[in-house]
This record gives sequence, C-alpha cells and structure tokens, in this order.
Amino acid sequence: MSDFSEELIRPKTEDDQEESCVFSGTGMSFPWLQKHIGTVATGGKKEKDFAQTTNACLSFIQEALLKHQWQQAAEFMHSYFQILEDSDSHKRQAAPEIIWKLGSEILFYHPKSNVETFNTFADRMKNIGVLNYLKISLQHALYLLHHGMLEDANRNLSHAETWRYGEKSSSQEVLINLIQAYKGLLQYYTWSKKKMELSTLDEDDYAYNTASQNMLNHSWKTSVNLCALIQTPGVWDPFVKSYVEMLEFYGDQDGAREVLTNYAYDEKFPSNPNAHIYLYNFLKREKAPREKLISVLKILYQIVPSHKLMLEFHRLLRKSEKEDHHKLGLEVLFGVLDFAGCTKNITAWKYLAKYLRQTLMGNHLAWVQEEWNSRKNWWPGFHFSSFWAKSDWKEDKALACEKALVAGILLGKGCRYFRFISKQDDEVLRKKIKRIKKSVKKHSIVNPGL
Amino acid sequence: MDFPSSLQPTLFMTGPLGLSNVPDMSFMCSWRDALTLPESLPENFKNEAPHLATGLLWEPETPGPLPLLPPGPDPWDPGVSAQDLLFRGAFPFRRKPQAVLDVTEQLSRFLWDHGDIAFAPLGKLMLENFKLEGARSRSKKKTVVSVKSLLQDLGGHQPWGCPWAFLSYRQRRFSIIGGPVLGKSVASLLGALLHEELAMRWEQLLLDDAFTGGALAWVPGRTPQVGQLVYPAGGALDTLCFQEVRLPPGSDPQALGDPGHIRLRGPVRQVVTRTVQGESLLAVRSDYHCALWKVSKQGRAAPLQVLQVGKGATGISLSPHLPGELAVCSRSGAVCLWTPQDGLQQVYKDPETLVFCDPSPWRWADFTAHPRVLTVGDRTGVKIIDTQGPPGCGLLLFRGGAEASCRRGERVLLTQYLGECGPEPQLPTLHLICTQFSLYLVDERLPLVPMLKWEHNLPSAPLWARLLPPPCPGCPRPLLLGGQGGHLQLLHLAGEGASAPRLAGPPQSLPSSSDSLSAFPLLEPKSQWRLQERLKAPTIGLAATIPSSASEPVLSLFQLSAAGDVFHQHLHLQADPGPHSRAPTASWTPQATACCSRWLKALLDVPPTPPVWAAPTFSHRRLLGCMEQRKVEQKGPEGLRAAMAAGRLLRQQDVGSPPSAGPPPAPEPGPEDELSARLEAAWEGRMAAWWERQQGRSSGPGRQPKRRKRRTQLSSTFSSLSGRLDLSDATSPPHSPDRASPEARPRPPVTPPSQESTQELWARGVPSERQQTLRDYMARLPLRGDAPRGVSSPLSGTSSVRATRSRPQTLQDGTAELPPRRNTRRGAAVSSSQTSSVWATPSRQQALRKKPRMGF
Repeated sequence: MSDFSEELIRPKTEDDQEESCVFSGTGMSFPWLQKHIGTVATGGKKEKDFAQTTNACLSFIQEALLKHQWQQAAEFMHSYFQILEDSDSHKRQAAPEIIWKLGSEILFYHPKSNVETFNTFADRMKNIGVLNYLKISLQHALYLLHHGMLEDANRNLSHAETWRYGEKSSSQEVLINLIQAYKGLLQYYTWSKKKMELSTLDEDDYAYNTASQNMLNHSWKTSVNLCALIQTPGVWDPFVKSYVEMLEFYGDQDGAREVLTNYAYDEKFPSNPNAHIYLYNFLKREKAPREKLISVLKILYQIVPSHKLMLEFHRLLRKSEKEDHHKLGLEVLFGVLDFAGCTKNITAWKYLAKYLRQTLMGNHLAWVQEEWNSRKNWWPGFHFSSFWAKSDWKEDKALACEKALVAGILLGKGCRYFRFISKQDDEVLRKKIKRIKKSVKKHSIVNPGL
Repeated sequence: MDFPSSLQPTLFMTGPLGLSNVPDMSFMCSWRDALTLPESLPENFKNEAPHLATGLLWEPETPGPLPLLPPGPDPWDPGVSAQDLLFRGAFPFRRKPQAVLDVTEQLSRFLWDHGDIAFAPLGKLMLENFKLEGARSRSKKKTVVSVKSLLQDLGGHQPWGCPWAFLSYRQRRFSIIGGPVLGKSVASLLGALLHEELAMRWEQLLLDDAFTGGALAWVPGRTPQVGQLVYPAGGALDTLCFQEVRLPPGSDPQALGDPGHIRLRGPVRQVVTRTVQGESLLAVRSDYHCALWKVSKQGRAAPLQVLQVGKGATGISLSPHLPGELAVCSRSGAVCLWTPQDGLQQVYKDPETLVFCDPSPWRWADFTAHPRVLTVGDRTGVKIIDTQGPPGCGLLLFRGGAEASCRRGERVLLTQYLGECGPEPQLPTLHLICTQFSLYLVDERLPLVPMLKWEHNLPSAPLWARLLPPPCPGCPRPLLLGGQGGHLQLLHLAGEGASAPRLAGPPQSLPSSSDSLSAFPLLEPKSQWRLQERLKAPTIGLAATIPSSASEPVLSLFQLSAAGDVFHQHLHLQADPGPHSRAPTASWTPQATACCSRWLKALLDVPPTPPVWAAPTFSHRRLLGCMEQRKVEQKGPEGLRAAMAAGRLLRQQDVGSPPSAGPPPAPEPGPEDELSARLEAAWEGRMAAWWERQQGRSSGPGRQPKRRKRRTQLSSTFSSLSGRLDLSDATSPPHSPDRASPEARPRPPVTPPSQESTQELWARGVPSERQQTLRDYMARLPLRGDAPRGVSSPLSGTSSVRATRSRPQTLQDGTAELPPRRNTRRGAAVSSSQTSSVWATPSRQQALRKKPRMGF
C-alpha cells in the first residue's frame, strides 16, 4: 500500500483540487496553504472580483454559523447565491452542494424558519444541481421524519426512488438503496403502529382481518425495500432490527436467521458488535441450544470483552458441562474486569469471587494462575490500591467486600486492599468480613501451603 | 459496559483516501447528528423534535481573551514568515498561485551576509593565485592576481553589477580564474543545503507538530476554585512555570503570587497532567527528553524521573488508569510504556507508517479503556496494540481511507483518548482523531467506522483538544478544539452508555487572542504593529476547567502563545435562549481594558527584538574607510556633527552606541561530537586551530563549553530546578553524589573560544610577511558579521581586526549574567535508573543539532 495508489485513482488535475488545498511535497494537503501564499504572491493572474466577493461571503457565512448568528448567516446566504452564475464551471458545479449544506443548516436552526420554508428550499435545491437530487431528497426526508411528518417523508422518498439521471453509477445505486431502506423503515413504523392497534383488537372482530391484511401488504413491501441495502457492507442497525422483527412476526425464522447471520459474519462488513448481539438475542428468543449461544457469544467476547452480555456468557459457560468452557468462564470474568468502565461492576466482582472459590475448590489452581500471571503486575495498582480501598468502602461497602475477597485470594492477606477492608469495623458487615477472612485463608493462591 | 443498541446507518467502503465514487455519508452537516432515528415507535419522538436545536451556547464574557500574566522580559521574534521563504513573483499562466521556494534570493543574501563561510575555504585553496603584498607583481605567471589592485578596482564597483561599470583586465582575469570555481562549487554545494533548509522551514511554517498536545496544563488544586497553570516561559520556552490561579465565581481569574519555576535545558513542547487515584502527575516532553513530576496536594512538584529519547520524542501521555504510567513515542517509530519504578518497556516499533507511506516521523500514543492496550498513531492511521500480546499485532482503529471517507491529502494530526479515570468514567471507549479537515470520534469496540465525523474547517492545524466534564447533570460535555493559529471551537458532545455519541447542537467558535485588539488603546503604528504581531503569535497550548461549585456553569479557558503569554477567557452557559432572543454581544468592561492597558505598558517596556544583523554593502564599506580614519575617542556628538555636515542620515554606528544584538548564531557542535566539530572547523577553514586545540586538550585546561545557543539550538538536557520545588521528598531512588558527573556540576561562566585566537591561528598557515595584507583584506571584505558594529564600538582601535576582538568581550558579559545554578537542584532531577535507555539527566549532552546554515 502506498501513496501511489492514491495518485492513480484520480489523476491530479488542477481543476480537481479545491481552491483552498494545494499539495505540498509530502502529499499532505493544507487548507491554510492558500492563506500563506496569498500574503506573498503579488504578480500573476489575480483572482477576479467576483471570486473574491463570493469567497469572502462564504467565510462570513461560516463564521456566522459558528457564532450561532443565524439571522446574519441567512442574510449573507442571500448574497452567496450569486456563485450559481460563476463563469468558472468547476466552481459552479460545486456550488449547489455548498449552498445546500450551509442553507439547510441555517434553516434547521434559524428561529424563524419552519417546515414550509425548509421544504421550499429543499425542493428548489434538488433541481438546481441534478447530481445532488438523491442526497438532498434523503436529507429532506430525514428532516421531515425528525419533525414527525412521516407521510411527507415517505412521499419524498418515493419520488427520489424512481429518479434516474444518466448512467446508473455505483454511488447512485447505493444512494437509491439507502433511500429505499429509509422508506422501508418508515413502513416499518406504520406497521408497528398497526401491530399495536391489532393487539388491542379482538380476533373475531371484522376489523381485525382488514388490519392484518394491511400488515401483510406492508411487510411484503418493506422486505423488498430493506433487502437490497443490507447486502451492502455497512452499519445498518435500525434497518436490520426492524426487518428481523417483521420477519419474525410472520414466522419466517429462517429468513431472519439468514439476515442476521449474514450481517454478523460477512467479512466485508465492519465488525459491528450489535450484529452479534442481535443474532444472540434472536437465538435466545428462538430457544436455541446452549452450545449455539455460546459460539455466538464467543465471537462477541473476542470483539468486545467488556460488553455486559459477557456476564450472561459467563453464566452459560458455568452451566456447561465442558471443562474448557469452565476455564473460559474464568477468563471471561477476568476479561470484563480489565476494563476501566467495568471496575465498579459489582455483579462481575461477585461472580469472580464466587467462581474463584469454585475453581480453586475444583483443583484448578493452574487456571487461576494462568489468568493472574498476565495481570499480577498491574491489577494491584489498578483495582486493589489503598486509594480504591478507601473510596470503595466509602461509596459501596458491598462492592468493597467482594473486591476484598478477590484481592485476598489473588494477593494473599498481606495485600493492602484486603487489609484495609478487614480492619473496618462495621456492625452490619462484621459477619461477612469474617467469612471473607476465612475464605481467603482457605483459598488464597499465595503460599497455599501456609 | 453498554454498547449503543443501535448505531447510525453508515456505509462501509474500503479503499484509499479520496475515493470519489463513494457517496460520502458525511455530506450531511452538523444537524444530521441532531437527527437521531426514532428507536421503536414514532409517537415518542414527535414532541422532542424541535427541542434539540435550541440552547447550548457558551457565551464569552468579553469579546476576546485577556492577558492573565504580565508579558515576559524577553523580546519575542515571530520568526520566518511565508514572505521570507517564497518566491514573490507568480507564474503568469497559472490558474492558482503556487508555493515556490525562493532559493535564489536566499542564496544571494547568504553569500552577501556570510561570504566568509561561503568563500573562505575556496580562498585558501586559491591562495597561490593571489599576491597579497602591496608591491606590483613582477610575476610572469598569468594566474596570479594582486589583491591590492583588485581591491582598488573593486572600490568603485557597483554592488549589483552595473553594466557600464569599468572592468579592469585584472578583474576580468580574476573572474575568469575564479568564476567557475567560486560560482559552481558554492552554488552547487550550498544550493542543495539551502534548499533543504528552506523546505524544512516552509514545512514547519505550514505545520509545526512539535507542540502537538499542547504545552499548557491545568492542575486542579484543593478546592475547585484554585488550581495551577503549568506552562513554559522564557524566550527559549525552557523554564517550566507553576502559576497558582484562583477562579473566583463571577469574576476574572487571579494569578496568586509569582510563579514557581524549574529551569530546564531544552524547550518544553508538551505538558500533560492527570490526577489518577488522587495522585496528580505532571509529564513534560522536550525535544529529546521527557520528565515526570508528582504534584503534591499543596501544589508542590517533586521530580520523579527523566528520560532521554535519542531520536527525539514526539508525544507523551499519562495513563488514566495507573498512577505514574506513561506512553512515550519517538521519531524512530518506537512506543514505550514508562513507569518510574520499572523503567522502560518497548511495546511497539515500526519505522514505517501504518496505512500508506508518509514521510512524517510523527508518532503518537495514548491509552484505551484497557490499561494494557495502547493506541499508536501516525499521519496515516491509528492502531490498537496489546502491550502483552506478541509484538507487531494489532487492529487498526482508524484508517486514513475510504472507511472514514477521508479526502485526498488528509492526514491525522492528533489522536486522543477521551475516557478518563474517575468513579463513573464517561465515554470510556471513545477516541478523538483530528485531521486538518475533520474531527472523528471512534469507539474502540467498533474500529474503522467513525461514530461521528464533523468537518471543523479550522484555518490552522488542530493540535489541541480538551474534553471537559458536563457543566451540569445531564448536559452535553464541552469538547474544545484548538488550532495553531489560536482558533478555537467548542463542540457539545452528548450520548453515553446505550446511546451513540452525537453532537447536541451546532458547534460554536470562540474568540481568539487577535480578537482582543479592540480592548487595547490605539497606538502609534510601530507599537500597534508590535502588539498585533504579539496577539497573533501562534498558540502552543490550551487548558480549560469548569469550576464545579459555581451556581451558573462557567468555563475558564487558558491559552498559551508562542510568545509566552497566557490569555484567559471566561464563558458561561447560556440558559435556554428561547427562539427569538439574540445572543447579546459581549463588550469590554472597564476592568478588562484597564488590564489590557497595564499589560500593554509592560509589553512596550520590553525592548523590541533588535533587527537581525545586516551585512555591510559596498557603500557601507566606503563609509568604513572614512570612519577608520577618525579618532578613537569619537563619540556621539561628533558623529552627529559629521553627519549633519555631510548632509546624510544619522546611523546608529555614527553615534557609537554599542551593539545590542547578539551575533548571528554560529555553528557550534555539541561538546561530545568530535567528528562534527572537526568537519565544521574544516568547513570554516579553522582546521589547524581545531587540531591545535585537540592537541592541547590533554595537557591544557578542559575544553571550554560553548556559549548558550538560541532557542532552537538549545541543548535540551534538563538541568537546574529552582523555585518552589520541594526536593526533599523526591520519591525516586535517591541521588548519589558521585552520580553528578563533572558535566553535571555548575558550569562557571565561560568564555567561548575567542575569535581572536582562532583568527591568529587561521593566519598561522600564511607566510608572516603576508599576514598584515591578509588581515586588511579580510577586514575590507564583508567577512565578519560584526565589522560595522565593531567599528562603531568605543573599544575599536584603528584597524577593524581589533574591532573583531572586542566582540567576545560583550559575549562574555552575556554569559556571566546567566544565573548561577545550584548543584543540589540538578542532583534531585537525576535518578539512577535501571535500564540503559533511561539516562540520568545530564549524563550526556544531546547530539549535535542541525546547524544553522543561514541567517534570516
């Protein structure tokens, strides 16, 4: 891989580059290069007045936006439209996208703007730069969706769906798929609303039949709409979720499983933890065998060992009959507690304390030592420092007790955390601490002979 | 930990940067992020729809930041600008102007200014072609030129080659003999070097990544209202200052007392601070050293350890998980975990860049949610590596390519772990990645797919980011992004736990120090220009804090400029502004303008940077001739009278004021580097002198250390500590007295090898009868930079050779003024270390820095 391939894909022409970025020798582009050159270059062809004013206007708009001066930005925007008549064809072509970007942002935040204004602006912009038709339609629909106007959004997407311009390029295809998927999502919303209505109706009612008929229609349409997009690599959580829900509702378990499996295991897709979570939840609903669930969670464990499902994974492994699953169960618990966001997870500590005892009683000291070896040089500072002993005891005594037990087992009773907790005199917890002391004495992996 | 249950739809494409046929999903602007897809049912989002857009404005209390501390005593020089480096004309048929380095002009200026360096070796080679005695040449050889007559002829010559000027046959002969040698060798040798230097300076002007991460840090104190600012000061940025600052609710911050300071032997590039498990730590990165301090509850800094990085350090970060653990990366591509107890552990090494080839040696490392997993970044991407796993393996977290729809030429400028320690870590898995165009938030659990992308459009390189805690419960967290040009942006970051991070409301820009110009009184143009330049000085650090106890959330923001000024601004969170209220524009308060006036007065009291040394021109030299005839005791009034009589301008040298400027930096090697010293001596034609010195070294007194170099040439060994340092409780291994090697002892004020002696030595190779002529020749040619000034100094005698002698004197005085250093302080910074790569502070001087080849 080299920079060279980058050069090959797009031949470097002057028109190609944006005004603000010129490339230096390293291949890096500097948006502020022009500013430096501007202070020096005196001769040569000067920028036309027209270009100067439009550039100045653009920077005024950007500045006003960043200062939340929507009114002022709108006024500048009014003047900026002149760029659509620029004699420079390159700039003229790039203009609609810039105008849409800035204009939609102004209208989104402007206190006096409303949906009608936005609609008018979007409809105009769609037809100014034909190339942006799909993008603008999609964003327009999202805007309407955001404002709760589902029907308008749906109409918009339907228009866009049938739109074609010139040869169908791959980017157009992806956009059309995306538009269809959003349309599918809208249909899903209506569908789930109907489902809610249906659940309130009596099955013998006349209305029930028409309603269910309606739902069937919707489902069919939606599947067509969603199918294409979720084949394309990407993160499509909302689409996959709703599609699977509909498939499940109509009893197409195989279809749903196929969609989810593909979403989770296709290598072209990014490793999205949600894909595995959805698949796991589906299998759980389906009452799949434990073996199957474990295999799904094993992969999730490799991607996100800190996920909260890992505790569930541990429970599954604990219940399993296989020896190596028991070992993995210990590994999973240690893995969860490695992460900064999980240090206060009392369930994880409770599980670990219990499972450590269990493992040691089952004569698997080697397992514990294997896990502990890679952690013994940093867990004491990370979990069992005296700072944490004090603060845990102050904030959550139950957590402190669990941690003290683990610390005692792993580090021996000399460890600071254990010593601090065991010295505490607490009416309620006195018995518990005594039990902990006893467990530590019995199970500690440090000097087991003594 | 929760993972967002449903992520924003994103297309995933693999490929190189700037792939054009991908529909860029980030085409959607900042408001796209406000559009979260309704989770399940359409009913529950209808009501909240318009709510997102309003509110959320951090409003500055003054139109611009105010200076917090009085300006430092050192004058500030803005350095080279594009005008100095670039070709001024433009090509007539180019649509867009392009940067062309102006080597020709620099070369000609160099030849004028440093003729001695450029021509002396050649002159020595051609010695036999010159006849230096005054008598007319009787030699039959056509290849020998009489210097005296040549000089006479040159006396009337126009400097820039007047076509009608008289050319004597001698000159013609000289130019025929010397032309090819002088022209070619000098131009070809120097040209390449000069071009390299210019290109380097130009790149540095475009992007100076030395200060990535920022050299300003806020160390919280005992109460939320008090804290310490830690920043470098002094002309060379080599003094680390600890300034206690109080943030009284409702008014401007106050600096409490004078700052404590620690003198280091190198410019400070990055200052990082973190409080982990109640322990405040401070890490400092210089060019070739990194150091770690522990800040006690009372705010006293105790040194823990110093680390030398041979190839140059590019980044340092403190672990948010384990107290005293750091990640250091070097230009060689190595990343090390560093703890004062266990020393260094190299965890990654790859001289190549991650994704595609990029020449930049910049590397960065930071921590992740897992204390044993690090991120390693370079210009092309960011990788997650497990320090306990087998070396070389890892997972790309961010790839400069189509995955994040990067543009052509887009490069990573900063990566930062946004998680932090604390009882309830928020965003524990998020990483911020900044390029010159956009800002990305990447979750380490979902590599390669940015959770959020936002085009920041900053007009300078974004090298600083600070994520602050939420100002009020449930509020989005402010994320500050700072550019090198002082530009600041504030983003409102919402979403944690089960929801994906998103921007809550449109980002806003904050005033930069150049916006404060209106607070200062109007000045005469020269001072106004100086003030403007000072306010426009590039930013090198950013710190911010939200004092939590205030009833209304207030954000205090500090910015450090390259001139050493600390500016602060105060922002308050505007409570829901409502649909129609306009943001009230802030105005200057009388206190603010008074503060600015005071600061300005102090600034103007500092003498401005003296003009960079100018070479004598031929017309100067004619003046020199007549000045030489004047008497030694000539003083100002005489000069004035003479100037009036002649009807010409009064120059500084006429009045006879002593030169105030330091001489141009001389190329000086580090004391240890023998080869460089020798090469350099040879280059300057002082080979013989070097040899003499080398010979006499064993018997005579030790080599005299050279004078302190200017900022860029500072040797960067950390040295003396002073000020409020509490040295008694240095927790690192105790320093043994024998550790303090001879070099570590305080150096007596020393004289640099005097010019006089070297010149005498230089003349040693020349026959004695020629020496006087040669001296005259040298004095007349623009050989020595100080010639005009030396002449004007009262010490100067009748010959300019003696005038050169006077220079070391002033220099010596300058050296003597350096504050003496205490031995104990240095000893405290030293710690005995275990691994070979951790060196006690002053054990070795750093290797030779790039020597300056030109005077700007």
